[in-house]
Amino acid sequence: MSGLEATKSAASRSGVPGQAGRRPPRVRAFVGAPSSGPRESAAWTRRRIVANNLHSVVGRAYPRVRGLTREPSWILFEMLLPFLTTSAFVFVYRALDAPPSYIGFVVLGGAMSAFWLNVVWMMAAQLYWEKDQGNLELYFAAPMNLMSVLFGMAAGGLVMSSTRAVVVLVVATVVYKVSFSIDQWGLLLAVFVLTLAALYGFGMMLASLFLMWGREAWHMTQLMVEPVYFVSGLNFPVGRLGMLGAVAIALIPLAVGLDAMRQLAFASTGPTGTPSPEIEALILIAMTIVFTILARWLLHSMEIRARQEGRLTVRWR
Amino acid sequence: MTATTRPMSPLGEARFDRSRTQGHGLADDLRSFRTAVSLGWSMEANWTDPVLFLIYSVAKPIASALILVFMIDVIAGPAGQPLRGFVIVGSALWSLVLSGIAGLAWAVLDDRERYRMLKYVYVSPSPFVVVLIGRGIARLAVGAMGAGITLFAGVVFLGVTFSLAAVDWPLLVITLVLGTIAILAIGVLMAAICIQTRQDSWTYPEAVAGALFLVVGAVFPLSALPDPLQVLGLLSPLTWWIDGVRQALFPGGTSSIGGTGSAWYRITGSLNPSDGQIVIALLATGALVTLGSAIAFRASEHRAKDRGTIDRTTGS
Repeated sequence: MSGLEATKSAASRSGVPGQAGRRPPRVRAFVGAPSSGPRESAAWTRRRIVANNLHSVVGRAYPRVRGLTREPSWILFEMLLPFLTTSAFVFVYRALDAPPSYIGFVVLGGAMSAFWLNVVWMMAAQLYWEKDQGNLELYFAAPMNLMSVLFGMAAGGLVMSSTRAVVVLVVATVVYKVSFSIDQWGLLLAVFVLTLAALYGFGMMLASLFLMWGREAWHMTQLMVEPVYFVSGLNFPVGRLGMLGAVAIALIPLAVGLDAMRQLAFASTGPTGTPSPEIEALILIAMTIVFTILARWLLHSMEIRARQEGRLTVRWR
Repeated sequence: MTATTRPMSPLGEARFDRSRTQGHGLADDLRSFRTAVSLGWSMEANWTDPVLFLIYSVAKPIASALILVFMIDVIAGPAGQPLRGFVIVGSALWSLVLSGIAGLAWAVLDDRERYRMLKYVYVSPSPFVVVLIGRGIARLAVGAMGAGITLFAGVVFLGVTFSLAAVDWPLLVITLVLGTIAILAIGVLMAAICIQTRQDSWTYPEAVAGALFLVVGAVFPLSALPDPLQVLGLLSPLTWWIDGVRQALFPGGTSSIGGTGSAWYRITGSLNPSDGQIVIALLATGALVTLGSAIAFRASEHRAKDRGTIDRTTGS
């Protein structure tokens, strides 16, 4: 039974025959204020819609943020061990007697990989997992915009992965004595924020695609880690990849964001053969807008298609 | 069992056969194992387009190898060509480690969180660990395919010098067998951990593998590490396995364990470990890890039953 039908049913139950002239008792429909009937209950003000969607964002972000304190093993597996993975690449450069700035490249890449992994595992593949778990139908039935769920997932994921990124960045910087040479702090901060916006916009877009691809989504998560690390130049300057690197800068937010941040954080290393940080910041803005619009459109298309084909509740396919 | 072989009462009814509750020991275990391998393979591969599946399987190890090849090229240029063989073998073998470690842990998470079948599998007559290992073998096979193709790509496209005639086959076979057992043992350990943790532990096997990557000399010699980390690496069977396979494929090549600045050299006085030393060390460390994993798995199983985590589902 839908929410509206439930309200109608509750309202009809509340009506007493023979008391037509009297004002019906006010019923509490949905979760808002008492109303005189289902129509009034259904007529939400814009303010209430916005407030409801903001509640949805907070509600979806909550388990991710709160979960940080409820699974102690997470500290070891998600914060300390990834630092060791980054260290392995630091030692590759040390074994090659690379200039110190390259060790900084690896550390920055290791920190940013936390966000990418979060986007792939906990944004892109999330709606597919939700379907498998039976939560997706609840999302569709709830009186909210599904984009709120995606924004909530992104906000919660951002907090989760920020802790890992900060640990990798700070500990590795101290342990491996990385020295940054930053001239434009403001631009660096702006590029970082824009990179996160573009990354999570990308993740919101992929969430609908992964849901449509079904079981392929599982393999896609695999395909989107190391191959993307390679074309994004996670551990080396992306400019060295030539045309492949240029394509990555145009399409993958991790590639363009990382390259811009490296140019700004290690200004003394000179030209990298890639666009300037200012141009890359513009690319990130464009990516954020395009990915968010595409995410909204894909989600809507997917919802229509799923309703038509009756696949919203079909699991494990 | 057919109607003619089933024990019958004088009235012609089928009687309860007590001996069936005791099972058939190893034969039953082998049947469970075969079924689990077949199930694992079906879940991994039989529903998708073969070409697409091949791309999924090889893209990851090849990309990992290419990252390292580019890192070497950026710093050393053409002078780094001899190092390519070292890192390509290491990263190819590492894809096998990743698949082996993740396979068992993901079997637990898949069955518990997605298909919600873990409790039924657990209460079935098949030994739980046998089913898990069977499921893990399927993923290991996928990893082995990726490793083989990465080595092939390294030889054909990246200029790694390799001769089939030079391969030390006995050493290769022995190290591969012992190494596979050690990898599965670490996989069992990860499965034991994932029975206790929540759904988000999909990434845990990769995190553990990433940490081990630092200390096993997969892509750089151990001598680049501080002494305590080198000693830690020498205690891992994966270190000996990787060096053994490397020595078998490229006899006389650079050892990831030895070298003048290595802890091995300072401890033993010899520059590089011999083939025999590699096999003995692999056997000893592998036995220790297997024993430790078995104990950890049993303890985890006990705790899971106690706390009801076998049929728990979580989300975030």
